[in-house]
Amino acid sequence: MPDFSPTQYAVPLFVAAILIEMGWSRLRAPEAYEPRDTLVSLAFGLGSTMAGALLGGFAAYVFIKAYDFRLFDFGEQWWAVWWAWPLAFVLDDLKYYWVHRAGHRIRWMWAAHVNHHSSQHYNLSTALRQTWTGNFTFGLLFAIPLVLLGFHPIMLGIVGGFNLIYQFWIHTEAIDKMPCWFEAVMNTPSHHRVHHATNPRYLDRNYAGVFIVWDKLFGTFEPERSDEPIRYGIIKQLGSFNLLWAVFHEWIGIAQDLWRAPWRHKLDYLLREPGWSHDNSRETSDMIRARWLARQSGQGEAAKVHLPAAAGNPIATPPEAA
Amino acid sequence: MMDIPPLVLQFGGSLVAILVVSGLVWALKLGGKPGLENALDVARAAGEVEDGFRPIRHSIARQRDAALAADAEGRIMLIKRHGNKFAGRVLTPAARVREEVDMLIVDPGEARFGSVRLSLGDAAYWADAINRL
Repeated sequence: MPDFSPTQYAVPLFVAAILIEMGWSRLRAPEAYEPRDTLVSLAFGLGSTMAGALLGGFAAYVFIKAYDFRLFDFGEQWWAVWWAWPLAFVLDDLKYYWVHRAGHRIRWMWAAHVNHHSSQHYNLSTALRQTWTGNFTFGLLFAIPLVLLGFHPIMLGIVGGFNLIYQFWIHTEAIDKMPCWFEAVMNTPSHHRVHHATNPRYLDRNYAGVFIVWDKLFGTFEPERSDEPIRYGIIKQLGSFNLLWAVFHEWIGIAQDLWRAPWRHKLDYLLREPGWSHDNSRETSDMIRARWLARQSGQGEAAKVHLPAAAGNPIATPPEAA
Repeated sequence: MMDIPPLVLQFGGSLVAILVVSGLVWALKLGGKPGLENALDVARAAGEVEDGFRPIRHSIARQRDAALAADAEGRIMLIKRHGNKFAGRVLTPAARVREEVDMLIVDPGEARFGSVRLSLGDAAYWADAINRL
């Protein structure tokens, strides 16, 4: 049975790549890094590793138990079935798409995943801004179907590790676009910049891990535009470099909402999309996008009667292909 | 030699590594401190805080690191430099403001966002406007 953790072997590569990107930043884009932001991102990575080591046992236990009920059996030497590996990798990436999509559309899941988006920067250190609290969500349930199909939990752990490693290099502004064929099939820095953007056009788009085809298949793909500068982070930027606040702020927000909300809405604050509120006092990503689209069409009408559309928000200019 | 648990060793080594890498970012002088210089800068930052927020009046702190902006609906936005980016809040009635000599101190009512100190020419106008929210 293989005893192999690809992410452990990748750590030196992560560090080397960050150092190289910092060199690029020094020469081309000094604003791409910020010392405190980098420290918080890396501390997130360290804490996430520790949380996984301390709390990951529960998920392993659930998977091992579920494996007993598998529909198909690859045999005692399941690791020697060569075609099971690429199949597991692709299916695990499909699973990642859906767990990631849930991570953005269900506040309970978002409370853990928001950590990864909490930086206003987008560089390789941001990739290491991983959650500490993923084990307190129901994300592991998304992998159960794969276990029941007969993929051994260790196999899923290994392909999941390679998936995570792939996603590291796409967290950069140093690479503009990859070749067309690559952009068409694979997740790339360009596609993933869109995912980390807070521009209304880009909200809740490009959930892919490795293969961008899932977004194209399920209607969540949005290409990056050269005429729209991306702003990174979350809708309500933290404005703080406090690590613990960055880790737990959404959980605290949920707890406060659960405490204050009327009984019939308490569960909504856990299961509905981030930004939802029973009194419409907040905005979801859908509401922000709708307001932006309405403003764009309004500006279009204003332009027709020669009103100064240029007086609009200089960040969110682009009206053409919304 | 004392036995150190592998997890503790991993934690210690990683902690040293991240401090070194973060120190390198600082040593390379990456980041910088952008300033708010004019109305366009404030409009851009305000649009980043809340998409569609269009200031009709604004005041920039003398240090260029913060600003207050008001839109046509009478909303007031507090903007501050955060690292080498800007972050802000649309103020609510929970906001508190006080004046100290030539400094306006605005507390948006969020402990973690913190109070922002602005040296403004028209501090009294903003103090009054915030108190009326």
